[in-house]
Amino acid sequence: MVFFENVIHILYFVMAGLVGFSMCKSLFRRKKNKGFVFDAMYAYCLIPFLLRVLYIK
Amino acid sequence: MEKKALIFKVSALVVALVLALIAGIEFWQLRHYKETIVASEDLTEIKWFSDYVPSLKNTWMDTPVFIFDSGVEGGTVFVCGCPHPYEPASTMAAYLMIENIHVEKGKVIIVPRANYSGSTDGMLGDAYPKFFHVSSDWGITQYRIGDRYTNPLDQWPDPFTYINYPSGQNLAYQDIRNLNRTYPGRENGTLTERAAYAILEIIRNEGVDMAIDMHEAEILYPVTSTYVAPPTVLDREKFLETGEVVYYEPERSSLDVAMWAGMTLSEQFLMKYSASPKTLHGLSHREWADWSDTLVFLMETPEIFIDKITGPRTEALMTEGKDEFLQNVTDKGLTYFPYEMDFGTPMWYRVGRHLSGALEVVLDTAMFYPELECICSWPTYLEMKEIEESGKDSVGAFLKDPNAPENKDRAFTIYYKPVGDNYDKYMK
Repeated sequence: MVFFENVIHILYFVMAGLVGFSMCKSLFRRKKNKGFVFDAMYAYCLIPFLLRVLYIK
Repeated sequence: MEKKALIFKVSALVVALVLALIAGIEFWQLRHYKETIVASEDLTEIKWFSDYVPSLKNTWMDTPVFIFDSGVEGGTVFVCGCPHPYEPASTMAAYLMIENIHVEKGKVIIVPRANYSGSTDGMLGDAYPKFFHVSSDWGITQYRIGDRYTNPLDQWPDPFTYINYPSGQNLAYQDIRNLNRTYPGRENGTLTERAAYAILEIIRNEGVDMAIDMHEAEILYPVTSTYVAPPTVLDREKFLETGEVVYYEPERSSLDVAMWAGMTLSEQFLMKYSASPKTLHGLSHREWADWSDTLVFLMETPEIFIDKITGPRTEALMTEGKDEFLQNVTDKGLTYFPYEMDFGTPMWYRVGRHLSGALEVVLDTAMFYPELECICSWPTYLEMKEIEESGKDSVGAFLKDPNAPENKDRAFTIYYKPVGDNYDKYMK
């Protein structure tokens, strides 16, 4: 069980990285909601995923 | 893509990265800040949670266990500090015990930061300072405030519902990271369950006779300023064989001791007592007694910092505990503690209560059950009160300077793994 706990925990970090990457991609290239407000939102929402992947918060 | 739009996107990204850097530095400081204490000369051994549950080694839930053995046969006392890190009087009381303890008979085991991981972040959604400060003659030292739960960096994701093992009781999802909801724990469970199991293993393997769990509570919560102890315990053999839940009155009653201690302390401060319910699982005052043979005492001091209706959560609110909103509520008879804003609930008062509360339990246990006598001493509430009346910070007055030459051999950095050479001298 400890092994699976660790695997799930690592998967969670991988998912946080993938979501962060996806947001970064959407910041520069997306089909809908192309306004500046959404640019700011995508950039701001990157912060928690970045801090999580870096094992800070 | 237009050049103007690209410039805005890059600018937004740069601003976000700068904000992440600023926030990241603060979070990093809290996560990696190391507190250093000076153990008393009575220190005989240091163990780690990972000595009892090896899978905790190199995790942020591993933590040092300080053992003070007089070498004279007597009762064994276990003191748990920091089960909920955002109740820091518990940690400070444990630090003051470790720094000043003298044991003449029996053995005392102290864990100053039982949920180390939880001390490395703050409560989600609650804005409050990372640290509070204590002044001594030799300088000002800062200590972490921390969270109630294990840091999500170390244990995540949470389930939709947390089911306590082995009771099967449903609890709130985040309580899977709450050390005082995961007892008796599991050797192969989540990180928090493994830490809970390590504590039970300490109690069972070291032959602990009295186990004291130090907490703090809101004054809007009935069980504040209180001892909690179980009047009955689980018939373990029957439960393990048949699954049937049967409780019985043990030969030695921690509730009797708690009632006596509360009455004795009433000359100094209000200390109520409460019986641990049979139907609320995962808590130390239930599970430690059910899954070992120890006498269990949970202590709560009044900490208004965690009441939800206070003004701004500043360092002063933590260390002085003065709040006009709680005074209004108390005046209307809605709190469970005779709160006086002029005095507040200062840190020294809460630390002193824990120190005297724990010592009284040790003394009274020996009175009820002489075969469990443990003779030990550490600073008391009355000693701290006297120092406060002279205008000094009584918490700082009992802390030793880790940088002083005479203390360097017994200075220990509290972290999730040994730091420095001093640990090697005491780890067998």
